[in-house]
Amino acid sequence: MPRTLVPEALGLGLRTRHYRELGEPWPELDYFEIISENFLSEAEGPRYHLDRVRERYPIVLHGVGLNLLGPEPPSTDYLDRVAALAELVDAPFVTDHLCWTGSHGLSHHDLLPVPYVPELVELAAARARHVQQHLGRPFGLENLSSYVEFAASTMTEWDFYAQVVERAGCGFLLDINNIYVSSQNHRFSPADYLARIDRSRVLQAHIAGHTREPNGTIIDTHDQPVAEAVWQLYASAFREQPFPTVLEWDDHIPPLTDAVAELRRAELVRA
Amino acid sequence: MRTPLDRSTSSLRADMAAYDPVLVDAAQPSPTLSSAERLAIYHRQYWFRLFTVLQGLYPLTARLLGYWRLNSFAAHHLAERPPRGFDIEAIGDDFAMSLAEQLPEDGTIVTDSGLRIEAAAVLDAARIDAAFHRVSRAPRSEPLRPGPADAARFGDSCLRLSASVALVEERWPLAELRMGFAERHGDERVSLLGRWPTPRHWLLVCYVSRLGLLALDPLEAELLGLLQRLPLEQALGQLESAASPADLESLPERAQAWLARSVRLGIWAGFVDAR
Repeated sequence: MPRTLVPEALGLGLRTRHYRELGEPWPELDYFEIISENFLSEAEGPRYHLDRVRERYPIVLHGVGLNLLGPEPPSTDYLDRVAALAELVDAPFVTDHLCWTGSHGLSHHDLLPVPYVPELVELAAARARHVQQHLGRPFGLENLSSYVEFAASTMTEWDFYAQVVERAGCGFLLDINNIYVSSQNHRFSPADYLARIDRSRVLQAHIAGHTREPNGTIIDTHDQPVAEAVWQLYASAFREQPFPTVLEWDDHIPPLTDAVAELRRAELVRA
Repeated sequence: MRTPLDRSTSSLRADMAAYDPVLVDAAQPSPTLSSAERLAIYHRQYWFRLFTVLQGLYPLTARLLGYWRLNSFAAHHLAERPPRGFDIEAIGDDFAMSLAEQLPEDGTIVTDSGLRIEAAAVLDAARIDAAFHRVSRAPRSEPLRPGPADAARFGDSCLRLSASVALVEERWPLAELRMGFAERHGDERVSLLGRWPTPRHWLLVCYVSRLGLLALDPLEAELLGLLQRLPLEQALGQLESAASPADLESLPERAQAWLARSVRLGIWAGFVDAR
């Protein structure tokens, strides 16, 4: 039985840039989230750093390469590797995105949206159920930030997301920043979004910074502190039912102490 | 900002203005952006992400050429060899080779800052970056620790270099410069210093969590190369024929010391049948 995290747990997305800063004193964190793909190869260096971290902190896995909604089902080889990594670190849960990332043997290395239609609910739920069974531990799906909507969509994003998770019997990785980004780009109410989410199924939340472009579009850049509006949305969601929280910071990454300080703001805003 | 969507990548901008009408019709416009403009966000992110990864994997080459110039070579490389699989850093595996295809060795190239530098220096830089990339991704392996029982193997076998080790040759002072980028991040440009009178040789070793760079005597580098192609006795014979008269007297002793050091450093992964 994998270990669990307390709902108030605060974690940080582990990035390569952090490796050389890790050591005495070790940061005051409840856990780390790793990008699964960074540790799926047999390269010795990443495994060395992973070993150091897992001796001291619980680790959860967050993937970007599952390709849940690609033309082909998720690769068995890929799932085997993720399952082995999850076993190695005794991950409380594994997460990836409700999206597609490649087709016809090519990888876009991007999290791409799909039209929100009932047919894809069935497909996504069946595949997510399979993934969770294959991994043998809780699996969570993350909502995207997106910049395009499809004319073919017949459902809202939040209804699509909720139905997939509920039918798959898996969990939500609720990215609060993504909800905010998409709500601004597509002009919907983030409160409507949150209202549709069964909070008892939330495994974890993500918070991150974003960038507003001159034309008003918000890009999910993860390159700066969390925006005030995102903190407010986070606080309202957390107060209804708490969940473990991870700060993601992927570009212009600050010193580890600064990232931890930004994460610790969560305790203030949700109090 | 290293955004690719500028002068040297105007072809990418042209691509973005010409999406398949079916795709444009499938996407809805927003109050402020057309369908094509919304699709272009993904297009831009795709290139931005891949260029940024290549810039990170080839920091020496990027700093010599400048980011715009590197991006133009990267665009060609990525169009020829688009990413496959979950490992995004695999896009760096063949980049030095792709650069060599695009850049004639005997020519010169103008960098972002308007300087004209030898293409051979850029290709050296790319090969050095590629060596750092390769050894950093090496799997864990036990080094060869030959004992008395292995004596016969030296007679009929070559040695296989560990995947975490690379022999690096440079014609310009580049390897130590590259080593500095392994310890720190930054965007600062570097200037190409003068070409060495003769090539210099380095042993690059990835020790679990850090990289080591050891200077090699030219004959030592020659020996390490020969041992990968010939059994020991033949390698030593060939080394002797390559040595200058001044080196010959001390060569046996030095060769023994170099061989012992290579084993001590754990650079060999095993024997390979010489046939």
